[in-house]
Amino acid sequence: MSARTDTTDRPLRSYRADLHIHTALSPCASERMTPPAIVAAATKAQLDIIAISDHNSAGNVAAVQQAAKAAGNNLTVLPGMEITSVEEAHVLGLFPDVAAATDAAEELRALLPPADPDYYAHFGEQPLLESSGHTLGMETVALSAAASLDLSETVELIHSRGGLAIAAHIDRKAFGVLSQLGFFPADAGFDAVEVSRNVPAGSPRREQYAAHGLPVISSSDSHYPEEVGLAATELRLAGPGFVELSLALAGAQGRCLAHA
Amino acid sequence: MRLQELVNVLALEELTPHIPGRAPGGGQAGGADDRQDDPDITRGYASDLLSDVLANAPTGGVLVTLQVHLNVIAVAGHAGLQAVIFSSGRRPEADVIAKAAEEGLILFSSPADTFELTGRLYQLGIRGSGA
Repeated sequence: MSARTDTTDRPLRSYRADLHIHTALSPCASERMTPPAIVAAATKAQLDIIAISDHNSAGNVAAVQQAAKAAGNNLTVLPGMEITSVEEAHVLGLFPDVAAATDAAEELRALLPPADPDYYAHFGEQPLLESSGHTLGMETVALSAAASLDLSETVELIHSRGGLAIAAHIDRKAFGVLSQLGFFPADAGFDAVEVSRNVPAGSPRREQYAAHGLPVISSSDSHYPEEVGLAATELRLAGPGFVELSLALAGAQGRCLAHA
Repeated sequence: MRLQELVNVLALEELTPHIPGRAPGGGQAGGADDRQDDPDITRGYASDLLSDVLANAPTGGVLVTLQVHLNVIAVAGHAGLQAVIFSSGRRPEADVIAKAAEEGLILFSSPADTFELTGRLYQLGIRGSGA
């Protein structure tokens, strides 16, 4: 389906979305995170929408989209990327289509150092996969590294390609904007904040993160197939797609987060 | 300065199991030199930004950091560091300690803060990256 034409006049209903899932391309993720395994895990977890968000790369997004299509189910796979800012805060970028995500990823890639042979031994492999899970090649820049973009520039990079910028796992003690800065950068232009699976719906801590005035989403940040769907966001949408998601985060046209 | 002397003077708590004959830094196999067990430390680095540690920490040195994330181990291993001291009483999870032991990296915790620790290391003759 085309992300740009995904608004419909269909009645609103609830969709279950896990918008932060890594593939084996992320050095820290399991090699078992292949496109077919992710699609199977998402289906089993009764998810309607997932986003593929590897560290500093969108290289395996299209393969997972193809795997979902081949599986013939109704799973929507949105393009994403988890960017490491120079402050070492993780920013989740969600994009309207693969071309936009790839374009942002190429700009970022030019800012990352090359991976020397020793790198893979310490950080992990970075396989680019085809939809069957077969390895096409190895990403040769260090995806574990931080590019030279600060938080505002990172958000700008995402917005410049029409994407949504989400402050990732802000409850965690490392790699979140709060752990890295000690405060929430209200002027950075984030569209939403994400909490990890350690902050369940209805917990008082969730209220604390909602106080930043942005919608709060929950994602699994899966690095293993068993983790897919362990946290998810319920959305009221007319259809499963990027534009509908954008409307929900903006609280526009009746679209919204179903709770919290 | 020998690592054991640093440990004694600074009263560091060793988090990784003490393995006699352990290879120094980066998990490389070494000969039957007694330095394997008690490596010589002459350089140190203090930073909480892992990309900075990766780019600038001196090989064979000791790192003082607040960060207790698993990536510290990968970064320290890749930078060729021999030991990490977690300051202000921070302690990593068990899986982080296990990974460090696997890599031959020695982990310590100290209640002292980063400023205090680096000052005392400097007094003991440990120097920075020399940049």
